[in-house]
Amino acid sequence: MIKTLTMAASFAVAALAAMPAAAQQPSSKLDEVLSRGHLILGTGSTNAPWHFKSAEDKLQGFDIDMGRIIAKALFGDPEKIEFVNQSSDARIPNITTGKVDITCQFMTVTGERAQQIAFTIPYYREGVGLMLKADGKYADYEALKAGGSSVTVSVLQNVYAEDMVHAALPEATVDQYESVDLIYQALESGRADAAATDQSSLAWYMTQNPGRYKDAGYGWNPQTYACGVKRGDQDWLNFVNTALHEAMTGVEFDFYAKSFKTWFGKDLMPPQIGFPVEYK
Amino acid sequence: MDFSFLDQLWVARFPLLKGLGVSISISLSSIVVGTVLGVFVGLALTYGVRPLKWLVRGYTDFIRGTPVLVLVLASYYVLGTVGINLGPFQAGVLALAIFCSSHVGELVRGALQSIPKGQTEAAKAIGLTFPQTFAYVLGPQALRQALPAWVNTAAEMVKASTLLSIIGVAELLLRTQEVISRTFMSLEFYFFAGFLYFVINYGIERFGRYVERKTAVPS
Repeated sequence: MIKTLTMAASFAVAALAAMPAAAQQPSSKLDEVLSRGHLILGTGSTNAPWHFKSAEDKLQGFDIDMGRIIAKALFGDPEKIEFVNQSSDARIPNITTGKVDITCQFMTVTGERAQQIAFTIPYYREGVGLMLKADGKYADYEALKAGGSSVTVSVLQNVYAEDMVHAALPEATVDQYESVDLIYQALESGRADAAATDQSSLAWYMTQNPGRYKDAGYGWNPQTYACGVKRGDQDWLNFVNTALHEAMTGVEFDFYAKSFKTWFGKDLMPPQIGFPVEYK
Repeated sequence: MDFSFLDQLWVARFPLLKGLGVSISISLSSIVVGTVLGVFVGLALTYGVRPLKWLVRGYTDFIRGTPVLVLVLASYYVLGTVGINLGPFQAGVLALAIFCSSHVGELVRGALQSIPKGQTEAAKAIGLTFPQTFAYVLGPQALRQALPAWVNTAAEMVKASTLLSIIGVAELLLRTQEVISRTFMSLEFYFFAGFLYFVINYGIERFGRYVERKTAVPS
């Protein structure tokens, strides 16, 4: 009897405690994530240095670190993440069908995509470069351009791939491949004369294979990388934006800079103290 | 180069073994579920009453005419929107099992129809019920007929299991791609994965041969 009473009382207390929260506006993804206790992050596992597996079979990379920044802002613990492994094709469907809270997977911001999902603020600006074999037929970008249509460029499969290569090499033959390692393989086996892909990936690959490849010395095609969340939840979007913004300009700058150094090999200057950098 | 490949293979042994295990369990469960379902589909196609027959015919034609990849994506995304939230593994196995069932259904139908009608009539004449007729007269003969084609379907399922990497199931192909993204040794690791798939399919083929021998008409 006493047990029943205690239980009833505790239920009543729980209900009372829950009431103020329920009285607030319809709950946001933010509340859902906080009460769940971990972040569900959609990302891939096959693209270095963005999201890939270490020799110990742990996910790592710059995208993963962006997730850690958000998890740290949520729970004070960068490890409280459940990863949903997804292919690039699955990025937008998994957001719109609610299988992930957020996706950070080197996603280029486009108007088309922004109609389907809400993009966060950018966390990286990518550009395309050309990589050549160190002992190959073509010496640099000028030689490639002079080669005309006899030059074959391997590139990652993408809506913009053909136009992207032609912006730098108007006559080049474009071969599209399914994944990053295959475009390097095409260059290595001689099926392509140059590999065109993100400069971050090229830099990572060249540091892994010193002396075998070289940069053609030309970069173009800026694109913005941002995480994506479901449309229509401004609270959640604001929260994620704040977390990322403070990682690039505020209290979590060291975390961001350390990650940047690890994956892109460059040191970042700390943001200027005093007048906020945003208004310069 | 070879030495460093073996090195990398040794480093990656656990992820690859895990992937192999996942691939085998996807294939095994979809083949088992698909075969059991498929036998009923085949029975319905051969002996079902008219409306049931039409219904099942529609099911097999629709499923067989749809690419497996579309089925995989549909069971992961479309079922989610109607409130059935399956994990990638379950959704994938469901899609493959359904695909397998439509193929096995047609195999069973073909095998049953190849048995002369006189046998069913003879079975009826000596007073066997339909389940008995199926178990003692038609089943064993149909099994012999369908077995080679069934091995073919089972091997197809093993190969189709690679499509689950699209929805993020860490099977052998995705595990291999993960290793490649770190080591950039695509040819070597894809070749190795191909070898492992061959081993699985060879195992299925041997199993099929074994059952064929066991069920062969003694001569």
